[in-house]
Amino acid sequence: MQTVTLSLKEKNAIPIEADTINPDNFASKSKDEIGAILVWYGNAQVTIGEVFDVAVDGSDSTENTKVVINGDVSRVKRIGQEMSAGEIEINSNVDMHCGSNMTGGKITINGDADSWVGCEMKGGEIVVNGNGSYYVGGGYRGEACGMKGGKITVTGNVRDYLGEHMCGGEIVVKGDAGLLPGISNNGGSIVIEGNTTMPASEMKAGTIIIKGEAAELLPSFAEDGTEDVDGVTYRKFAGDVNANGKGVLLVK
Amino acid sequence: MSELLIKNAVVCDPINNVNCEKMDISVKDGKIVESVSSGAKVIDAGGKLTMAGGVDGHTHCAGKINVGRFMSPHDMRMTNVPGLSGKEAPTATTRAQVGYNTPNAFAIGYRYAKLGYTTIGEAAIPIIGARHTHEEFEAIPILDKFGLTLFGSNWQVMEYIRDDEPEKLAAYVAWGLKASRGYGIKIVNPGGGEAWGWGKNVSGLDDPVPNFDVTPAQIIMGLAEANEKLNLPHSIHLHCNNLGKPGNYETTIASMKLLENLKSNRDRQVLHVTHVQFNAYGGTSWRDFESAAPQVSDYINSTDHMTFDLGQAIFGPAMTMTADGPVEYANSRMLNAKWSNMDVELEDASGVVPITYSPKNFVNAVQWAIGLELALLVDDPWKVMFTTDSPNGGSFVNYPEAYTYLMSAKRRAEVIEGFPEMALGRMNIPGIDREIDLYELAIMTRAMQSKIYCMDTKGHLGVGADADIAIYDLKPDSVDTTVEYAAVKKAFSGAAYTIKSGEVVVKDGEIAMTPEGRTYWVNAKMPQATVDAMQVDVAKKFKKYYSVSQSNYMVEDEYLPHPVEITTEAV
Repeated sequence: MQTVTLSLKEKNAIPIEADTINPDNFASKSKDEIGAILVWYGNAQVTIGEVFDVAVDGSDSTENTKVVINGDVSRVKRIGQEMSAGEIEINSNVDMHCGSNMTGGKITINGDADSWVGCEMKGGEIVVNGNGSYYVGGGYRGEACGMKGGKITVTGNVRDYLGEHMCGGEIVVKGDAGLLPGISNNGGSIVIEGNTTMPASEMKAGTIIIKGEAAELLPSFAEDGTEDVDGVTYRKFAGDVNANGKGVLLVK
Repeated sequence: MSELLIKNAVVCDPINNVNCEKMDISVKDGKIVESVSSGAKVIDAGGKLTMAGGVDGHTHCAGKINVGRFMSPHDMRMTNVPGLSGKEAPTATTRAQVGYNTPNAFAIGYRYAKLGYTTIGEAAIPIIGARHTHEEFEAIPILDKFGLTLFGSNWQVMEYIRDDEPEKLAAYVAWGLKASRGYGIKIVNPGGGEAWGWGKNVSGLDDPVPNFDVTPAQIIMGLAEANEKLNLPHSIHLHCNNLGKPGNYETTIASMKLLENLKSNRDRQVLHVTHVQFNAYGGTSWRDFESAAPQVSDYINSTDHMTFDLGQAIFGPAMTMTADGPVEYANSRMLNAKWSNMDVELEDASGVVPITYSPKNFVNAVQWAIGLELALLVDDPWKVMFTTDSPNGGSFVNYPEAYTYLMSAKRRAEVIEGFPEMALGRMNIPGIDREIDLYELAIMTRAMQSKIYCMDTKGHLGVGADADIAIYDLKPDSVDTTVEYAAVKKAFSGAAYTIKSGEVVVKDGEIAMTPEGRTYWVNAKMPQATVDAMQVDVAKKFKKYYSVSQSNYMVEDEYLPHPVEITTEAV
């Protein structure tokens, strides 16, 4: 087991793009080697050691590497981008694109995650013990697919466009979701335990379950009886008919 | 200025009947000359294949391609063709590059140059959008450019044809070319662009355009006659009616036949039909869709009045963009894809829709075959221009890959292996064993363009030609292009040298320098009295209908810092 602890020296106002912070890059590396890895700080590159205090305990493979991030990293973007295994624990709010494109491993965020957490994620797990923001599990602008696999759990609320263009995987939101969750999704499943507005527009495939109130249901869904999930009976809708969709939308 | 001597080049120069023969090429002041002094810089081609710089006579490189860019921000990340797509950071010589189907303007220049192309023709300029087109032309480095101006659904054109005013029509076309600094007449789905303004389309050559009482056949004939009256260097450039519809080959052949008896004073065709792949469809619906390339090819083989280009489909993502508004609506519904639609005031329609051609989709597989069948079944390569209608059939960076389809039956057989069984019965390509050689490839990619656009300094390496030269890392003496297609593709993907106006712009597949290219346009002269009479009518159009005034409409000299003006006198 290897544990790498990064503690932010001083809160940054200019964003740091830290797409190199992941277990893949840290595994079996020493404190000095990790400290020398580059991140973008505004329009210049700096080393991790310049912005974080680095502590390393042990040396192991990617699967057995855990990265713990302390300090206020609410202006540090792209942590865990493209990680394939191992674990990241962030004890703070975190900036955009956390866990984007990840294929495996687990990220735990003990705070709020800014927009695009888990965007284009293909595998692994993200747990946000706080609120998410816009485009949780969403896609890059113009792409046909956002999240394709893995699981995102948000214990708090999220804002608009949850799971936008999602093609696979699973998202669970314990609180409320903003406007248009599951917009243009083409697979995967979304569970919203709280309330939301205008779900599943242009949905082609996949499942969305809304346990709270679904406001402004779109007229382009066809009601198709009921379905029981975990002992609860939901009204079942199929659509989005406008997009020849075969998706399933379950609401109370 | 500088002198350059290219030694030991194995030259394929069909215009001058040079069939891959070893020779030296002398260059002085950007032109090919008989000989140079002993002080000339020397490039030893070492027996490598040498051709004139390529000429892409039908590509979408400026103007409408921007709508494609807006619609596909993710296109910049696409890396489908390594080295010729995706993001590339700026270097000391090059600016930042992004994209695949809709690359940025710089990337268009660099990548065409890497393929050994030195001249490109934008396939559709709406006059009202021409200022922007020329601004983009200026941003495309290295290459010489020209553009074809849209006239096929233009109100003034249709009114003059309806009112039987051929002189005024010719004067209007000349004025439109000057207003847009265009090179020739483009006709897209004649009448269909106007009908689309009413949510309709024209169904064929004899279906009248709503409110104008003219038919597509009359529009084609009227503009073709005006084209010959003005002695333009290119013939009319026709995108036929009913594009993309099963069974459309009958309309295509009928459109070709319309002009059989038209004569030109110039030594060229009177009709160029573009991206015929999309117009050589048999069957009555997508269920019984099949190739009609044999019927179309048979007709083309029987006549000498026309040329065409392929519009070859390339598997993978592409971006359709055309003035054919109703086709793009149909595409967007069928593909359930994003759709951009634009009304071009009094001039035409426009649409953009992304598409992905898949070898597993039987329609796409047959489309792929149709393009190749047209190239291989038409006997005379001087009638065939190689294009993908980039990026409609696929991005131009796939040209080297597509060359291998034309040059190797073995390569074709490999691709066909992945096709669904149903597709094989709908195409003829498995039974075609013709393999294009390097000489024929040179015809289809540069030499025939010299003739069809009457560009006598382009597309060949004779004395007096522009010193636009491509040297590819391929030895014609020893390579078997029917088998070694990987080597063919590699060589054409990054020229050993691309020389533009005598300067080495690409070396070993990398950009060496980025001079500005020129823009060719045609200034066709008509008698002043006719011009004045026409101007009265045009002024009314601006007063009543256009959203801009005429003074803010014309492309001014400032928009063409590197112009090449070609003047013609009307007969």
